[in-house]
Amino acid sequence: MTALDPAPTPAPATAPAPASAGGRTIRTWRTLRSSRTAVIGLAVVGVHVLLALLAPLLTPHDPVANSPSHALLGPGPEHWAGTDQYGRDVLARVLYGGRYALGVSAVSTVLGVALGTVIGCAAALRGGWFDDILSRVLDAVLSIPAILALLVVVTVLGTGYPVIICAVAVVFVPQVVRVVRGAALAVVPADYVTAARARGESTWAILRREVLPNIVDVVCVEFAMRASWVVLLISSLSFLGFGAAPPTPDWGLMVAENRTAITVVPMASLAPIIALATLVVGINLASDGLSKAWGVDRIREGS
Amino acid sequence: MTALVSVSSLSVSYRSGGQDVPVVREVSFELPEGRTLALVGESGSGKSTVAATLLGHLRHGSRLDGGEVRVDGHDVFALSPGRLRRLRGGTVAMVAQNAGHSLTPSMRVGRQIAEAGGGVPVLDLLEQVRLPRPAELARRYPHELSGGQQQRVSIAMALAARPRVLVLDEPTTGLDVVTQRGILDLVADLRDELGLAALLVSHDLGVVARMADEVSVLRLGRTVESAPTRKLFSRPEHAYTKRLLASVPRLADDGLALVGEAGEREIRARAVVPPQAPVAVSADDVTVDHGSVRAVHGVSFELRCGEIVALVGESGSGKSTLAWALAGLRAPSGGTMTHQSGDLTRLARKRPPGLRRRVQLVFQNADTSLNPRRSVGDAIRRPLRLFGTAPNREAATARARELVRDVQLDPALADRLPAQLSGGQRQRIGIARALAGEPDVLIADEITTALDVSVQAEVLRLLDDLRRERQLACLFISHDLAVVRGLADRVLVLRHGVVVEEGPTQAVFTDPGHPYTRELMAAALEPDPDARPPVDDVPDWEETADADGVWTDHGHGHRVRRWRPASTPLVEGVP
Amino acid sequence: MLSFIARRTISALGTLLLASVLVFLAVQALPGDVATKILGKDATPDAVAGLREQMGLDRPAWERYLDWVESALHGDFGTSLVSGKPVATEAAAHLGNSALIALVTVLFAVTGALVLGVLAGLYRDRWADHLISTVSLVGMSIPEFVVATVLVLCFSIALPWFPAVVLYGPDASVGQLLPAVWLPALALATVMAAYIVRMARTSVIDVMASEYVTTARLKGLSTWRVVTRHALPGALLPTLHVIALNVAWLVGGVAVVENVFNYPGIGKLLLTSVQNRDLPVIQAVALISAVVYVVCNLAADLGSMALNPKLRTRGRTR
Repeated sequence: MTALDPAPTPAPATAPAPASAGGRTIRTWRTLRSSRTAVIGLAVVGVHVLLALLAPLLTPHDPVANSPSHALLGPGPEHWAGTDQYGRDVLARVLYGGRYALGVSAVSTVLGVALGTVIGCAAALRGGWFDDILSRVLDAVLSIPAILALLVVVTVLGTGYPVIICAVAVVFVPQVVRVVRGAALAVVPADYVTAARARGESTWAILRREVLPNIVDVVCVEFAMRASWVVLLISSLSFLGFGAAPPTPDWGLMVAENRTAITVVPMASLAPIIALATLVVGINLASDGLSKAWGVDRIREGS
Repeated sequence: MTALVSVSSLSVSYRSGGQDVPVVREVSFELPEGRTLALVGESGSGKSTVAATLLGHLRHGSRLDGGEVRVDGHDVFALSPGRLRRLRGGTVAMVAQNAGHSLTPSMRVGRQIAEAGGGVPVLDLLEQVRLPRPAELARRYPHELSGGQQQRVSIAMALAARPRVLVLDEPTTGLDVVTQRGILDLVADLRDELGLAALLVSHDLGVVARMADEVSVLRLGRTVESAPTRKLFSRPEHAYTKRLLASVPRLADDGLALVGEAGEREIRARAVVPPQAPVAVSADDVTVDHGSVRAVHGVSFELRCGEIVALVGESGSGKSTLAWALAGLRAPSGGTMTHQSGDLTRLARKRPPGLRRRVQLVFQNADTSLNPRRSVGDAIRRPLRLFGTAPNREAATARARELVRDVQLDPALADRLPAQLSGGQRQRIGIARALAGEPDVLIADEITTALDVSVQAEVLRLLDDLRRERQLACLFISHDLAVVRGLADRVLVLRHGVVVEEGPTQAVFTDPGHPYTRELMAAALEPDPDARPPVDDVPDWEETADADGVWTDHGHGHRVRRWRPASTPLVEGVP
Repeated sequence: MLSFIARRTISALGTLLLASVLVFLAVQALPGDVATKILGKDATPDAVAGLREQMGLDRPAWERYLDWVESALHGDFGTSLVSGKPVATEAAAHLGNSALIALVTVLFAVTGALVLGVLAGLYRDRWADHLISTVSLVGMSIPEFVVATVLVLCFSIALPWFPAVVLYGPDASVGQLLPAVWLPALALATVMAAYIVRMARTSVIDVMASEYVTTARLKGLSTWRVVTRHALPGALLPTLHVIALNVAWLVGGVAVVENVFNYPGIGKLLLTSVQNRDLPVIQAVALISAVVYVVCNLAADLGSMALNPKLRTRGRTR
């Protein structure tokens, strides 16, 4: 062999990293190490999850038990964050409130992103009339603001968990489809996809083997980003009185209930606000950090 | 008198992944008034970084580690922002590599030239770079110009403030050969007319031989050799320079050039294709349409086992479209294409697997033809499993490693991701993947275009070895006549989707019959400052056809599409 | 160029038509009896039957849809089930009030966001960028109702500069509403600006790294000229679409914020109708918001066409 450079040195990778599952774990780990923003964000979200799960161990109070004699107390040794107008412990309600926010958000985000990814990939790969009609329908769905669409659904079908979860998922599917379709469209003309086509691979095999692995980053970032939107949306819905039903501990609902008494017991409003804000800032930091580390243009794609 | 530009012990590093990577190390040179210096090197040699320092510019993330750049007596990195601005454009001007990207898309080209300063009227500048109808052209936006026109506008913009030094960063890369020739002629004339000093950055030794007075060869950020052009090309001293020069294919090579470790050059005699070799693929009157545009118009050829047929043409000639049609990625709108074992006019997914695996395509750009998320071994295993050439997983893995060895790579590389390989290694993997289907026809679509010249020599040799060993039939697509010269047995010259000349390589190159072929040959640049163009002047011509058909036969399968001199000859006396 | 405008307009109308179908389906054709939905489960059979007749529910859905669209085209959205007044008049009064908020919000958010976003992009990775980026991240992480509540706490209770709630009905004059506009507008502008800032910042960074901006710099142009003439036109194009999307988002955001301030706008109307299950009003409001979305996007498309010579000169020969 007449190489000019004796054995051209490969890219400065640490080791000949195995490519498949192991490689991805290593890559993810490296990403996390390199991006402090992502680590902070994920840590904040992790703390929120832990607090929600361990709520019964962390507070002796029942989040829904009324106690008129203890109403509107300020912070004290018994009630660290005070009580609300019904005498319920604010801290307990905030801790338990995370369950509703996190649970509903997580489930509906997973649903929406999964559905959107499949549809988006299919649209990019199939193209043609399928893509055209789909774009039209999605545009029509997008033309109705999310909160309004949810309000309509809730009016018609009530405010049960399944209804809210499905409705939120459906409302966000078009946006996920748009992002994933865009990302997949960037992959589809790549020569390796063409090579797969020239081999005569089936559409499904191309999708699974060639396209999906290359848009995992985008989907992950999209997931984080949608999660933050969903948390905001669900809390807004609760705030307006169409989400969690009144005795349920929920942050949006708590703000709505205690807003009028904000001068008397500010903690009753501020505590859920702080909880909500830290959670969403955490999710946003994570998605910002991940998108930067992976080179996904989150802001453009999220628009 | 001191030189107009002097660079001394320049070192620049780039911050990447938390550590400083040196890109330029201790580079020095001087550029006197009115002279042209060329910086030559392969990718990663730091030549563009050096060029930009003449304008006091460093890429985002780069840092000056040492040395200085003096232009007209001033240290450019010590200038105040205001004086640096006056230096840029006023004393030193730059013509960037890709004019399509370096012109602001939202501004008319006339305005962009005007704001570059100087008292020269825009229309005069446009005339000076020999653009037709300057008044109308100045009102256009960059996207309304062709690539060659954009580059001419870039040159006009650089000349607007009448600088004394012109920095040309790969000024013709990405342009067709004929356009490239025009731009180089223009730059040379303007340089002489205006008495400019020029710094030319190029990877193309042909361009350098044509343009430069002096040459500096860079490698991995260091100067390897500096010499006057004629001396460097006739008596290179450093082994790297020798190998670099030896790797450049030439129009006179009658066989593939094999390059030795010390830069010696040996021409391997062409493999002989026995006349009784079976025909692997035959195409007859193939037509392919892109919407309403006819990309390929009635092309016919035969490809025999063990034979390499080259398809030569400029961009837009339809050569890649034809390749895609053969590979089953685009349905032809007319004509027939047949393989020994079936019909090739059908799309790949409608071809029976037995046929599909026999015709394989290798892509131009190995960087994008391998899935970045899968190991290269995986990329080779997939066709093995899909086409059933390997019965099970273990056999596929073993066979994949064998194939990696067949393309002369270390089998251990099979576990790596494409990003962990060099460009040449990736292209070899692309070939190995194509070989996995055990094809008898390989379509190579500009497979060496994106590679450095030394790596190109290796890949060409691999291809030649493979066809000898496996009796592969190969359709080799290229825009580069010199590459084709040593490798191909027969040549088809394609222009606007039509074959204008075809025949044995030897015959076509020694006696080009069609003016277009001659034009291409005249525009090809040899790595030799004293090279004479291999053909005489090219007359203006137009197509013609008479009762005898469209071809003139020159014997031995060499035939030329009929043409006649243009009806209004530019020069009196030309028949 | 004309054909481009025509094509975009037709496709916008198509989207609108499709959106009207979706609205109608969501409200009227989801499982369950519409009259029962409106009156609740405890309604007497007589009342249900009466309402069914009033709304013409015994006819097939597509017939009712066509009727609805036809009268909507004539400006007739039916009568409110609660107030008995024509929906069109009621919606128009509320819409006007909301437009007041929207106008102030868009004015503040867009100008402020563009200035900040471009600054952050130009001073990338310096303290100004870090500050702007962090604030915008927080801005987009806090729901509108929280911003509104905090604003009330600061500027109505702690510093009694602005009213915390509006005491007027939908027919209030602009003069009466004007003092109450600022806080809701500020709340909405904070959230809206956050997105635009981020988008403007990324586009500016992208464009500043482009080859043509480098070329312009190496031509010896002043930074001001490079930024204003070469970089900004390219950077603002993608931002335009984000602005359009955000203006459309405003319709939803308005619903929440108006509720906080009891502001008699379209959002307040929507919430009251949702509480009262006033289907004709809900339909009308949903349709109006779809119109806003489609018009904004159309405007952004046409705007970017006007700014982008590639689109503008399409069809002209080379």
